[in-house]
Amino acid sequence: MTPARPASPHPVLQLDQVSRKRAGRPAVQTLSLTLQPGQVLGLLGVNGAGKSTTLSMVAGALRPDSGSIKLNGEDFLEHPELAARSIGWLPERAPLWPELTVREHLDAHGRLRGMHGASLKQSREAIIERLELQPLVRRLAGVLSQGQRQRLGLACALLHRPVLLVLDEPANALDPVQVTALRAVIREQAAAGTAVILSTHLLPEVTAVCDRVAILHEGMLRHEGNVHADDHAALEHAFFEVAMGGTARAA
Amino acid sequence: MIFLAVMRLELRRLLVRPLAWVLAALTLAELAWRFVLLLGNFLGSQVRLAALPSGPGYTDMVSVPLLSSLLTGSFVPFGLTELALFMVPLLTMSTLAGERNQGTLPLLFGSGLTSSSIVLGKYLALMVWLLLWLMLTLAMPLSLAHAAHFDWGKLASASLGTLLLLATLGAIGVACSAYTTHPAIAAVAGIMMALALCILQIGAQTAGVSNGVINWIAMPTHLEPMLRGLVSTSDIAWFLLLIALALALATRRLSADKERG
Repeated sequence: MTPARPASPHPVLQLDQVSRKRAGRPAVQTLSLTLQPGQVLGLLGVNGAGKSTTLSMVAGALRPDSGSIKLNGEDFLEHPELAARSIGWLPERAPLWPELTVREHLDAHGRLRGMHGASLKQSREAIIERLELQPLVRRLAGVLSQGQRQRLGLACALLHRPVLLVLDEPANALDPVQVTALRAVIREQAAAGTAVILSTHLLPEVTAVCDRVAILHEGMLRHEGNVHADDHAALEHAFFEVAMGGTARAA
Repeated sequence: MIFLAVMRLELRRLLVRPLAWVLAALTLAELAWRFVLLLGNFLGSQVRLAALPSGPGYTDMVSVPLLSSLLTGSFVPFGLTELALFMVPLLTMSTLAGERNQGTLPLLFGSGLTSSSIVLGKYLALMVWLLLWLMLTLAMPLSLAHAAHFDWGKLASASLGTLLLLATLGAIGVACSAYTTHPAIAAVAGIMMALALCILQIGAQTAGVSNGVINWIAMPTHLEPMLRGLVSTSDIAWFLLLIALALALATRRLSADKERG
């Protein structure tokens, strides 16, 4: 069980008028979002809607062309080192170093985030146990199945107890049992005060774990609202309305 | 000091890659062969050389030629510097091109690392490996230290020159790796650049051009005095300048990658 975090007066994440072009065309346009501690935001959109670009910017791997990103009230773009200690990011297809073992991956990720010695070992063992990675610890990342890679990627993202967890299509290649386990981890993190952004194509994923949803289309925020677990039809309606080019009304 | 975490990660990756071990084993075996030939040659001419008032000794005939063929002219089997022209680009080819190819570069950016930390960490890891390679090579002539008379100053100077050459080739290799997605292209570019720096002068002389600038750009101009035992600030500065330039280019390219996404 992840211990709860102390309350912060600031939103965990605040995107203000963020824009970014990729390959000469606008990938994200004037996007504004706020995320409070413990909230789980589902980011929906068709392919090319700007979800991955948004998450890359939030994770600190990509600079926006304009706008500001604040993390716990601090300007993230002026203090890029905030990413190391505050954000856990699982990119799409969990990129890994194939020649390192699972344990070496966790150690490397910990050290890159400034963790050392006993605290690193303690966090590493805790996350190995929580995500049931014990049978894999000596295995090379290059020989892991896609589902195992996702789990290792998630472990790396959670290792340093981030205040913001950024998950890009985390349920890709997971079997139903693993999807259920992933949902439990997300809920557990949210209950401990971690804010979560979850990008997905799967609407049931959003209704299962998210409090709020933001639907992007052509790089713009077209719909933002709360999610109710029993309101799958309303979400589906909003998604298809946006995907067909309209702008859905906020719930 | 976050670059130390990158250095540790890169060193670990180098240590578990078969390529680094295979290259080290093959090159050390080849250098051992050269050492035996040089030693045999020295022992064969020892009586004749002893009659000369200032004849070449063990350092001139074995230790320094093991590091480079530049002074002796007998290129085969290769000395360490000749091998380095091919080996270092092969070692460096994956440093950044491999990260880009595997999609792991954004992970490093997402860890809050600056481009310079990534480049410096990777470069230092490579230097640890190259330093180890140089030390193992030097261990061959030094193994006879109890029986031979060493010119320690000349050996130190030649070792410094060789180390600077390895550091320069490493920096060029990292820069080449920063500019491509395919490690093989990085290796070829690194080898071509290293060869160009070495044969530029010979090419110009063959064409009848004797130009001060070309001579200054050419690597042998700065390595040769060190192999002879002459250490000058301007030669060291030439190597450091090239290292700084190559690493700055690699950093700049990586920063552009982060900007572009």
